[in-house]
Amino acid sequence: MSAWGYSWFSQHKQALELVLRRFKSNRLNTLLICLAIGVTLALPSILYAVLDSVNGLANNVKTESQVSIFLATNNSEDTIASIKAALEKNEAIKNFKFVSKQDALAKLQAADANNEVLDSLENNPLPDAFFVEPNKLDADSITSLQAELRQLEGVDEVVVDGAWLKRLNYLVQLGKEAMLIITSLLAFALVAVIGNTIRMQILTQQAEIELSRLIGATKSFIRRPFLYAGGLYGLIGGLFALLITVVVIYLFNLSIAPIAAEYESNFLLNTPSASTCVTICLLSFLLGLLSAYFAVSKSLLHATK
Amino acid sequence: MITFDNVTKRYPGSHEAISSISFSIEQGEMVYVTGHSGAGKSTLLKLMAAIERPTSGTVLINNQNVSKLKEATLPYVRRKFGLVFQDHKLLYDRNCYHNVALPLAINGITGTEAGKRIRAALDKVGLLDKEKAMPITLSGGEQQRLAIARAVVSRPSILIADEPTGNLDRNYAENIMTLFAAFQQVGVTVIVATHDALGNANYQNKVLHLNQGKLTNVETSA
Repeated sequence: MSAWGYSWFSQHKQALELVLRRFKSNRLNTLLICLAIGVTLALPSILYAVLDSVNGLANNVKTESQVSIFLATNNSEDTIASIKAALEKNEAIKNFKFVSKQDALAKLQAADANNEVLDSLENNPLPDAFFVEPNKLDADSITSLQAELRQLEGVDEVVVDGAWLKRLNYLVQLGKEAMLIITSLLAFALVAVIGNTIRMQILTQQAEIELSRLIGATKSFIRRPFLYAGGLYGLIGGLFALLITVVVIYLFNLSIAPIAAEYESNFLLNTPSASTCVTICLLSFLLGLLSAYFAVSKSLLHATK
Repeated sequence: MITFDNVTKRYPGSHEAISSISFSIEQGEMVYVTGHSGAGKSTLLKLMAAIERPTSGTVLINNQNVSKLKEATLPYVRRKFGLVFQDHKLLYDRNCYHNVALPLAINGITGTEAGKRIRAALDKVGLLDKEKAMPITLSGGEQQRLAIARAVVSRPSILIADEPTGNLDRNYAENIMTLFAAFQQVGVTVIVATHDALGNANYQNKVLHLNQGKLTNVETSA
C-alpha cells in the first residue's frame, strides 16, 4: 500500500475506532438512538411488505380475469359471426370463447340446480355469450376494451369480472402513495433525530474540537468521527428496523394463516427480500451520513476561525 | 524562523491588541514575551502560531506569509508548533496517555510508534507513572507538565507557552523553566510568555517586552 493510501486508511480506521469507543462508553444512549431510528424505519418497511404482498395477490388473481359479452336475445347467426370476426381482429384480445344459449342452458341443467324451474320455462331465457381474455390486464386497457366491445352491433351487455379487483388495485395504488408520503415524512424525522444527536455530541466534544483546531487538525479530521457516528447510527438503526419488520410480519402471519385458510388461500405477508434488506440498510446509512454532515458542517462553521 | 514586519492586530469592536510590531526569532532561540496582562502577549503568541491572522503587516513563519496562506493549509502550518496554553486545555474525559496522544492522532501517528513517543514525552516531564491517571487527579504543576508533554510529543521545531508558570509556586515554576531550557538545548525554539521575569537571568535569552500592544524593548540578556 502506498504511503498516502496507508495514511488514508489509518485515518479512517482511527476515526472508526474512536466512534466505536464512544459508542461503547455510551451503550444505553447509543442503543436507544438506534432503536428510535429502527422503529421509525420499521413503519414504512412493514407497510411496504403489506403492500407488496397484497399487490402480489392482486397480480395472481388478475390472470383469471375476463370480460363477458352478453348478446341480445334475438340475434341472427350473421350478427354472431360478425361479432366473432370483430373479436378476432381486435388486438387487445388474447383469446375468446363462444358459448351459445343452448350450451349455457345445458350447462345449467347439468348443474342440476332448480331443474323444475328450468323445465317450467317455455323458451330459453339465456343469451348467447362470448368470454374474452384480454391481453392487457391493467384497469385502463380493460375499461377501454369494455367501451369498444359495447359499440359492437348486437351486444347487449359487457361485464368485466372482478370489478373488486380494480378497486383493490386502486387501493394498492393509494397505499403506495401513502407509503411514499409517510416514508418521506419519517425520513425528515430521522434527519432531525440523528442531526440532533450529532449536535449534542459536538457540544460535549467542544473542548476537544477547539483544541484540535488550535494544534493543527484539518476540518475533515474533526468531521470524520461524527460522519462515522451518523452513518453507524443509520446502519444499526436500519438493522433494527429489519429485525422489527421480520418479527412483526412473522407474528402477523401467525394470525393471518387461519383466516386465509378459511378462504382456501395460502396468502401470507412476504418477508423482505435480500435486496429490500440491503436497500433499507443502505438508505438509512446514507440518511445518517447526510444528517451528520449537515449537523457537523453547521456547527463547525461557528467554531471555525 | 519567525519574522514579524509592522504587524497590527485589531479584534472587531476593540482597540488594537498589537500595533506595528517588528522583530524576528531565529532557530533555537529562547525568547521571553513579557508585559502586564492585557499588554497583548497572548495575541502575539497566537499570531506566531498561525492561530490568528494579522490585521495588517506580515507574519512570516519559515518564510511563509501567514496572511497569504489558504485556510486549508493553516492546519499544516500549525502542526509545526507545540503549544502550551494558559488554561492548559487538557481534556478531562480521558487519561493522561490519551491526552498526549491527540496531537499524534492529528498527525496520523497511531499504534506502537505513537505509544513509544507518548511514553517518551511523559517520561521527559516526569509523568511516566501517571499515564493511566485522569488529568483531574493531577496537581496544578503536574497538569502543566502534562500540557507540555502534549506540546512536545509531535517533536515540534517551535514550542510556544503562554504563562506556563502562572499559577505555580516557585519550585514548580523553576522546574518547568528548566524543562524548557532543556528543549532549547536540543535545538527547539522556545517562546514563553510570562508576566514575571523569573529565571530569565540564568540563560542566554531574548526578551520581547510589550506595553499596551507596543513592543517597548527587544533585549538579549546575557
